[in-house]
Amino acid sequence: MASTEVAATVHSEWMQFAPLIILLPMVAFAVILFLGRVFNGHPFWKKNLKEGGLIALPVMAASLILSLLLISEFLKGNSGVDQIFEQIAWVNTGIWNGGSTTEPVSFGFGIYVDHVTVMLLFVAAFLCLLINMFSIGYMNTDPINDNRNHRFYAEFVLFCAGMLGMVLADSFLWLFIFWEIMGLCSYLLIGFYYERPSAASAAKKAFLTTRIGDVFLMIGLVMLWDLFGSLDYAVVFATENIDAVAATSAGTLQWALGLMFIGAVGKSAQFPLHVWLPDAMEGPTPVSALIHAATMVNAGLYLVARMFPFFGAESLHGELDDLAFIIAAIGGITAVMAAAIAFVQMDLKKVLAYSTMSQLAYIFTGLGCAMYLANTLDWHHDSDAHYIVVVAFGAALFHLFNHAMAKGMLFMASGSVIHEVHHAHHHLHHDDDHHDDDFDAQSMENMGGLASKMPITATAMLVGSASIMGLPLIGGFWSKEGIIANAWRVAQDDPRFLLPAMCVLLGAAMTGFYMSRMWFKTFAGKPNNEIAAHVGPTNTWIKTPLFILTFVTLSSILLAGMGFTHWAADTEYSFLSEKNIIDGILYELGHAFANSDSFFFILTYVAIFLGAVIGPGLAMALYGGKLAEGEEAKPWMRPVIALSAWVNKRFHFDNSAFTESSLATALENRLYIDEYYDKAMVNIVAGFSNKVAEADTEVIDGTIKAIETGSQSL
Amino acid sequence: MQDWISMPLVGFPLVASIVLLAFVSNTNESMRKRLSDPIRMASLLFSLILLTFTTGMFFQYFGNVSWEGISFNNYEFTHRYTWIESLGIHWTVGLDALSFPMVWLTTFLLPVTIIATWNEKNGAVYFPILLAMGGALIGVFVALDLFMFYGFWELTLIPMFFLILKWGGKDRKYASQKFFIYTFTASVVMLLGLITLYFFQDPVNPLQYAGSMTGRTFDIPTITQHALMENSNGNWYLGANIQKVLFAMLMLGFLVKLPAVPFHTWLPDAHVQAPTGGSMLLAGVMLKMGAYGMFRLPISLFPHALQYFQFVLMTIGMVSLVWGAIVCLGQTNLKKMVAYSSVSHMGVILIGIATMQPMGWAAALFMMFAHGIISPMLFAVCGAFKHHYHSMEIGAMRGMAKHSPWLATSMMFAWMASLGLPLLAGFVAELMMLIALWYFLVAEGWSVFWMVGPALVLAVTAAYYLWSMQRTIFEGGDETQPPTSLDGEPIPDIANPEKLAMIILALFTIVFGVMPWIALDMMHDWTIQIFEGLILPILGGFNGGA
Repeated sequence: MASTEVAATVHSEWMQFAPLIILLPMVAFAVILFLGRVFNGHPFWKKNLKEGGLIALPVMAASLILSLLLISEFLKGNSGVDQIFEQIAWVNTGIWNGGSTTEPVSFGFGIYVDHVTVMLLFVAAFLCLLINMFSIGYMNTDPINDNRNHRFYAEFVLFCAGMLGMVLADSFLWLFIFWEIMGLCSYLLIGFYYERPSAASAAKKAFLTTRIGDVFLMIGLVMLWDLFGSLDYAVVFATENIDAVAATSAGTLQWALGLMFIGAVGKSAQFPLHVWLPDAMEGPTPVSALIHAATMVNAGLYLVARMFPFFGAESLHGELDDLAFIIAAIGGITAVMAAAIAFVQMDLKKVLAYSTMSQLAYIFTGLGCAMYLANTLDWHHDSDAHYIVVVAFGAALFHLFNHAMAKGMLFMASGSVIHEVHHAHHHLHHDDDHHDDDFDAQSMENMGGLASKMPITATAMLVGSASIMGLPLIGGFWSKEGIIANAWRVAQDDPRFLLPAMCVLLGAAMTGFYMSRMWFKTFAGKPNNEIAAHVGPTNTWIKTPLFILTFVTLSSILLAGMGFTHWAADTEYSFLSEKNIIDGILYELGHAFANSDSFFFILTYVAIFLGAVIGPGLAMALYGGKLAEGEEAKPWMRPVIALSAWVNKRFHFDNSAFTESSLATALENRLYIDEYYDKAMVNIVAGFSNKVAEADTEVIDGTIKAIETGSQSL
Repeated sequence: MQDWISMPLVGFPLVASIVLLAFVSNTNESMRKRLSDPIRMASLLFSLILLTFTTGMFFQYFGNVSWEGISFNNYEFTHRYTWIESLGIHWTVGLDALSFPMVWLTTFLLPVTIIATWNEKNGAVYFPILLAMGGALIGVFVALDLFMFYGFWELTLIPMFFLILKWGGKDRKYASQKFFIYTFTASVVMLLGLITLYFFQDPVNPLQYAGSMTGRTFDIPTITQHALMENSNGNWYLGANIQKVLFAMLMLGFLVKLPAVPFHTWLPDAHVQAPTGGSMLLAGVMLKMGAYGMFRLPISLFPHALQYFQFVLMTIGMVSLVWGAIVCLGQTNLKKMVAYSSVSHMGVILIGIATMQPMGWAAALFMMFAHGIISPMLFAVCGAFKHHYHSMEIGAMRGMAKHSPWLATSMMFAWMASLGLPLLAGFVAELMMLIALWYFLVAEGWSVFWMVGPALVLAVTAAYYLWSMQRTIFEGGDETQPPTSLDGEPIPDIANPEKLAMIILALFTIVFGVMPWIALDMMHDWTIQIFEGLILPILGGFNGGA
């Protein structure tokens, strides 16, 4: 029987409303879908409610407010890692272990809050709200979406509910359940434009590719259940249970975690299950922002971060280092591969898609290294080792935070660019009905020199790119340096880790190049064509989230100074508990730029040199340039554009040898990986299944028919 | 206590159907047309009365029976009337937590099927046949007498035969005959098994309810009681060899009905030719008769033989699961694909049984129930597809999302439910099956590579469903083609009754997916009862007994 009573562990009266964080958007899903069906096309629904956008917005705001209350409660130390609720018994069943009675087994639902939850909860709720605002400015102003936006908003809120639920769930089972709901929503939203065959195929690809990962995840969960007899965090993370499992079946546990990791590889689009993410750009741009920043891809990272207690357990010391290496290596390989493919992309959103892949790979590398350190160092007793582990894990989580904020901003900014280019195109060609066939509003060929026309968007894009590149002092710098440093720290212990370590270092330069390339091609130089010259500024619904996120990204240094890195990894540290914020910032600055260890001192400057000088320098040399006559950028962008123009003039070189090489062709074709997969699907899977279907009719049913004929002839 | 079952649940729909059929039998064509409306309303009303009744039973309004805590081989609402005294045949009815969910499911599907096929042609005859079908199906589930069980088992064939023959597609003649002869042949083997069981009973003890002439009985509770006693004494009831043979004979009948590979080929033919209503009841309830029969007879009577055949059952289940899924991928006919997906899902039930774990059995029971709600929706979608586009070929219609949004939404929902999306009914059963299977494999030292089958199927199922949606719901560029058969007429969406049926089915899929405990708790309780009452005392620890 289901017990829904609130347990005595509730710490604050209103905390019992925490499930509303998930339930509100779920209810909103049904409400928007229903009202949309009934009032579709009605002027009040369209103008005043924005076809459901203004129903979704307060709901997401309420979710964010409730989340913030939960977070503040947590920061006050009120709830700790306690479960807020007694579980709702969802499935009751039994198992027979060979004894004289059966043992009861139960799967329940509850809410679990710890530092990882809190961080992801904020990222998800905050970005969902901002993307919702952006959507109103983006979706409702495009006639192609008229009378079907309710479908978008309904699926949007369900997607958010899936992510929030996954983060708050108190067991791997419910993590998986919400994980799958996100999979469904991504399918629906990527296929939003059902009239486009490419969207249909992209949606299918996304669902199927992640489903392959999910199958492994499900098997991994089943194995994990078999080891622990439960999937609740409270049970599987309990030290005595881990000890018991470690004593008998550490190898099986590594297999289980490894299979679960494959699920994360699929969801977070890592090699070799990365093929769906670039195609997912078929969805409307807010969906891209949602998938890349707030929800879907973070789910895989969250799952891996959730496995940390196993790696950190004393009794499993040195047992799981192979898996940690695999996680780091998959990250390293993907980081370089995705960055290389991003070099040659002409589509603005595709560059960002590959950059997501590459940055997630950084986080995976960071997590892998942190897990290796936790698994091999004696961090429970040695305080130096403890510090190393905490900082390593925290750096990966901090990069997740920085990347989510920056990437959400970048996608919204790119959406704003595409939106305005599209409008400019419409404006110029309003008589022509067939222009959409050959015009690509997402191609950077149709942009250039937009810095003066879209100042807020260009600034947001600049700050976002700088954060992704890890330019000193901005956003991702604080976390990326940490990841690179930890990869090399681990590589000193274990030479296998030289692979990911080299990859992330190389990746820094590559990131610097492709992100700068994107910015200069879009915003610097002269307009590439007539359309780009007619682009106008964007609307308020779009500007506001960009403005907020620019501020958040720039204030990353404050978070670093407040000890975010430490706090994200370990509840023993709390915000601002040790030093005040100025000391904190000074400490972080000293740590970053004047490391006392000469190896890391040199490494830091090598990384900065590669990411902030070599990469952007090459991009400036190839794509930099002054704005058109009479166009003036905002003062803070002027030096960047001027510098790029100077570098372009002074160091410009001919890169046609590269662009015409077979490597560039291979990169344009995504290293032919998609092609191989397609071939395998068509030739092997479809071929085999046709043969089986034939055998079913010919052999099995044939036998029956033969008996039939035989008996009739008697 | 009053007999809540015989007349209200079994007799009422059968008698109502016969009366209605007799009423229309002597009328001419135009009269029948005029009668179809009142008869449809009457049928709906009757089926709703049945549903009210079983729902009342669930909420303990009728009979005040708690469905949890009924111990093994005990039944509620039991009533026994002597039928043929000399042979020990009784009209015995009763319900336990195994049969009650099936009975409720039948009464739930009857009105939904009537609504979903509201405009079926020749309704004056069609709807009474549906009622008869319902009565016969309920009869199978409530029968506690072998003779009566077999009678209802075969009785279900007759309305279904006519549904396919009279309302079916182009090859309906072949399909209805194949359906009838195939399943009937298997049932005859089962009948031989039942008769053998009857005569091999021990007549020495004065059996309760025994026939005055033969000294033997058809009474299921009595036989089960004797089997339990005999088995618990360390012996094989009826002796090892006979038990194995009887187990195999009974199982054959049930496996064909389920159906399991390689006895499944009647199913796609029957489904493709059957009318929508027939398909809905066939997939929704009739297939579950096989699984129900397995639990009621061979498993309850012959636990030793179950253990002896465990490997065989596991193999058949695994083959059904994998084979069915891969054949789906190679189908071009939408309804055939859905039919094969049923074969695949029935494999889940067999695997659950073969694990010999309470969790596996609960998974099998819940799968019976969940599939009973999801598969009618699948077939309702297929039926609407055929009705509007005059074709069953995948790809015959593209861009359903634009032209028939209701149908497209229903299709996506049903497809997602069937591929096991969490929080919809099918997922719970799949999850429990996986866990029970892995637990069993590890505990008993079987190879963990058995797990490859379900893992493969999880991916393949998603593949064939998504592939078929891509080629129906979404538009296909140059391939886009509203069906030529419509001659450029506007493409209709589903009618209001169909919408209502889809909404009801979707709603219950969600309800049992989000709150599985409504049905699962009593199923779980029954599996615990049968394990602690039957399996554990007899088989003891792992690998014991056999």
